[in-house]
Amino acid sequence: MIKAPAWLQILSRSCAALLGGYALSYAASACLARILPLAAADAVIVATLPAFIFYTAAILWAFACSDALRAWAPLAVAVPLALIGFWPQALEWLA
Amino acid sequence: MKNTFTQSMAWLHTWAGLIFGWLLFAIFVTGTLAVFDKELDHWMQPEIPATEVPQADAARRAIAYLQAHEPQAGNWGISLPSERSPGLRVSTGERRHGPTVQLDPRTGEAIEVRDSVGGNFFFRFHFTLDLPRNWGIFVVGALALVMLAALVTGIVIHKKIFKEFFTFRPNKGQRSWLDFHNASAVLLLPFHLMITYTGLVIFMLIYIPAGVDALFAGDNRAYFQAQGNTRLEQPRGLARQPAALVDVAPLLAQAEARLGPIGGLNIRNPNTAAARIEIRPGLGNRIALGKGQAMVFDGVSGQLLGDVAEWRAAPLTQRVMAGLHFAQFGGYPMRWLYFVCGLVSCLMIASGLVLFCVKRGRKYASAEASVRRWYRVAEVCNVGFVSGLLLACVGLLWASRVLPVELAQRESWEVRAFFGVWLLALLHAGIRPVRRAWVEQLLLTAFLCIGLGALGGLGDAMRLGVVACALVLGVLLGLLAWRVWQAQWVPQKARAGRRMEAGA
Repeated sequence: MIKAPAWLQILSRSCAALLGGYALSYAASACLARILPLAAADAVIVATLPAFIFYTAAILWAFACSDALRAWAPLAVAVPLALIGFWPQALEWLA
Repeated sequence: MKNTFTQSMAWLHTWAGLIFGWLLFAIFVTGTLAVFDKELDHWMQPEIPATEVPQADAARRAIAYLQAHEPQAGNWGISLPSERSPGLRVSTGERRHGPTVQLDPRTGEAIEVRDSVGGNFFFRFHFTLDLPRNWGIFVVGALALVMLAALVTGIVIHKKIFKEFFTFRPNKGQRSWLDFHNASAVLLLPFHLMITYTGLVIFMLIYIPAGVDALFAGDNRAYFQAQGNTRLEQPRGLARQPAALVDVAPLLAQAEARLGPIGGLNIRNPNTAAARIEIRPGLGNRIALGKGQAMVFDGVSGQLLGDVAEWRAAPLTQRVMAGLHFAQFGGYPMRWLYFVCGLVSCLMIASGLVLFCVKRGRKYASAEASVRRWYRVAEVCNVGFVSGLLLACVGLLWASRVLPVELAQRESWEVRAFFGVWLLALLHAGIRPVRRAWVEQLLLTAFLCIGLGALGGLGDAMRLGVVACALVLGVLLGLLAWRVWQAQWVPQKARAGRRMEAGA
């Protein structure tokens, strides 16, 4: 496997941290808001409060993992979480 | 990228800290100054008398003024004098955006007050960097997130956290800078984490509207309705039917008994049968931030129509977090605590920035030209964004007193002075040797701080407090400048001494 130049790796990891991190925290908040057994108005707040912890974790992950491709893992994790969060909308869209 | 976990975290801490530290320093400094925003407002507008007038009397005078000058307005806003803000302000138009008039609370007469951005500029800069509001909120939010990441990576790479808690080795160059950076970070780690996280929580639904998108289809109004934040319906037909306004003094007393000190009131549709009086509490009555809360009274009968809502656990949590960030509770002791903690945060960021250059100075001295050029950029930015920003802040205070009172668009000239001084400081740092740039800018800042009293504003305790605090900060900055100057000369003197000994 050809090793990418350092600046490209840094750029890729930075984008992974910024975009992948945002996708993860957005999707995780949506998912939590959907599954928390609370009134909708409360669930929104309780689900959004930990979002920045997910984001920070994703940033650390993007720079900690040895493989630059795996830095994008948060983006992959975000997909199923978003599906849970938005399943009524997703079903509507499919129908 | 480095191999081990700790190494990669150290890499992230170093570079994210350097690149974003310059703006984070500006955010933390202005945030620390914003703790005393009202006091700075008061100092920057010397025409406002320092008086203690009962709120009920002030409210009556404000209403008398509005009856005489604005009887047809659809909304009257009144900001009542309080402990930190002795001025009486009236406005017309929606949500305090209309034209504002300052009154003398003792007489109810309008007074001419110079236009000034006041300490409020630091508050606004703190969360928008003076960009357009929505852009600024996102930029500052991103920076806060970097700060959070920098704190966590800092903990990760700092292995001997408890041992070094008690370690400070002064006068050891790089070692001392690292010790200071560590000590200031670890000592107030709970504060750094709290202030950064709660700062993000204030606008969390602007940053991450996922919950509203998922459960309310992105409809913010529906979300706020579900929160119970609905305004009372305005009775439409009655707004054209004239009616006398009820006396506000008993209503203020009733609201004060329920809410604590009052911040101000709004009177909607005054002098009509639809009149509504909304009385809002002062911000510091409890930890939870009570923005947007009010008791609503019928403006004709004086009957209570709507009380302040009790918050459920979840919204209360969010409001307490916002309140912890705004630091309006607990009076002056709490304000001073936040101010000192904020100063330590600023010192931590600044020492980290300096450490970056101190650590690499010797290494890069023998590096190739292109590397040295980047190192020079870091040095110049350090001076321009640390001491240059301090200079710009005190420059704004000077501008508020020195600019001619009758200057058109005076407020924007104050802001231009702030950014102008900052830009000049950056240029100055670019053309001077780095040590000299530090010393000169720190000394100038120190003199401007110490000299603040020469501009007047010694009349009352609050303004005297601003001047005295500036004096103390100025002396500290002067000492710092002296230390930087000393650090430059001591090694050479020592060398000279050794040479003499060798010669003898």
